[in-house]
Amino acid sequence: MTSPHQHHEHHEDVPVAARVRRLEERLIAAGLTTDDEIDDLLTRFYADASPVNGARIVARAWTDEQFRDRLLADGSAAAAELGFGPQTSDYQLRVVANTADRHNVIVCTLCSCYPLSLLGPSPSWYRSLAYRSRTVREPRAVLAEFGLNLPAATGIDVWDSTSEIRYLVVPVRPAGTDGLDQDELAALVTRNGMIGTAAV
Amino acid sequence: MTDGVRFPLGSRVRARTIDPDHHTRLPRYLRGHTGEVVAAAAPEPLPDDVARGRAEPRVETVYAVRFHGSELWGSDPASSHTVIADLWECYLEEAR
Amino acid sequence: MSRVHDVGGQTGFGPVDPGDAAEPAQFGADWEAHVFAVQRILLRRGVFTGDEMRDAIESIPPERYLAAAYFERWLEALEVLVERKGVA
Repeated sequence: MTSPHQHHEHHEDVPVAARVRRLEERLIAAGLTTDDEIDDLLTRFYADASPVNGARIVARAWTDEQFRDRLLADGSAAAAELGFGPQTSDYQLRVVANTADRHNVIVCTLCSCYPLSLLGPSPSWYRSLAYRSRTVREPRAVLAEFGLNLPAATGIDVWDSTSEIRYLVVPVRPAGTDGLDQDELAALVTRNGMIGTAAV
Repeated sequence: MTDGVRFPLGSRVRARTIDPDHHTRLPRYLRGHTGEVVAAAAPEPLPDDVARGRAEPRVETVYAVRFHGSELWGSDPASSHTVIADLWECYLEEAR
Repeated sequence: MSRVHDVGGQTGFGPVDPGDAAEPAQFGADWEAHVFAVQRILLRRGVFTGDEMRDAIESIPPERYLAAAYFERWLEALEVLVERKGVA
């Protein structure tokens, strides 16, 4: 939607954009940062942080049972095997897997903690007061608002990210995908599936 | 610094009934409720201390504790889920 | 003395708006991305810790906290911390 390169040309009329710019100028004047540093950080962030990363991890877990076991035992170490060490150096990654009878969903009731490096920027709904307040109380109803209607027999585990541990959900591998390669499998995995608000 | 893991996997713990006026990561909806330890993670500095600028914050094991929905919200069909939260050791006590 | 941010289990916030699931993962506006970047840089510079940042967000007066957009809360917290730390 917006280019990361227009660092000092905020093409936005909203007052808050001007307020952000004033803060930046204050920090730049104090020698705490530069326009180039801000621009560079965003350029690298956009390149490195994306749901494509999480999807690669999921696809590997679907096709390699031993990797899956390692992933569930130590998410950070397993992610590093696929080259995501730098992405997961700021936090501990814990990975939880959906099964035929248990579904996992992630929330952060206190703020909006999220594994940005593996999923990109969080969606607005994840940060909303509605999602933060209701998911621990009535997850089935919240998931239904996403169009995910789980059978009554399916247990739901809600993970509240209250610490520096960040969560990724491994969805159930869809039926009829035996012939697909890793790239094709990764393309099936959605950001919402890795948070737990979609089946995959 | 904690020397070991105080609460073993599978043990029953209670989120303490505390009500700090400073930053904490023990949500109100869990305080006083009992759950089961399902994981223990490497020790982390206690946010309550770091936020207040303590020079030597307590560093404690962080436990994933599973609470049944009925324990938190009462026994109605909408509460048939579980909630797992990551809680620092000083937020917890043994439960009988 | 729980603060307004501690919303787990509270009611009244309405339905969740799932938005467009097909929309790519991105910041909603350029200014949000800049708030994110500034926070990362100041953390890296050691101006404040992540816990201090969260504390500052949680300390926003309740009516303003509830009415503000997510990254507006970040912006307000950054302004408070920069002032408090006297770095700029």
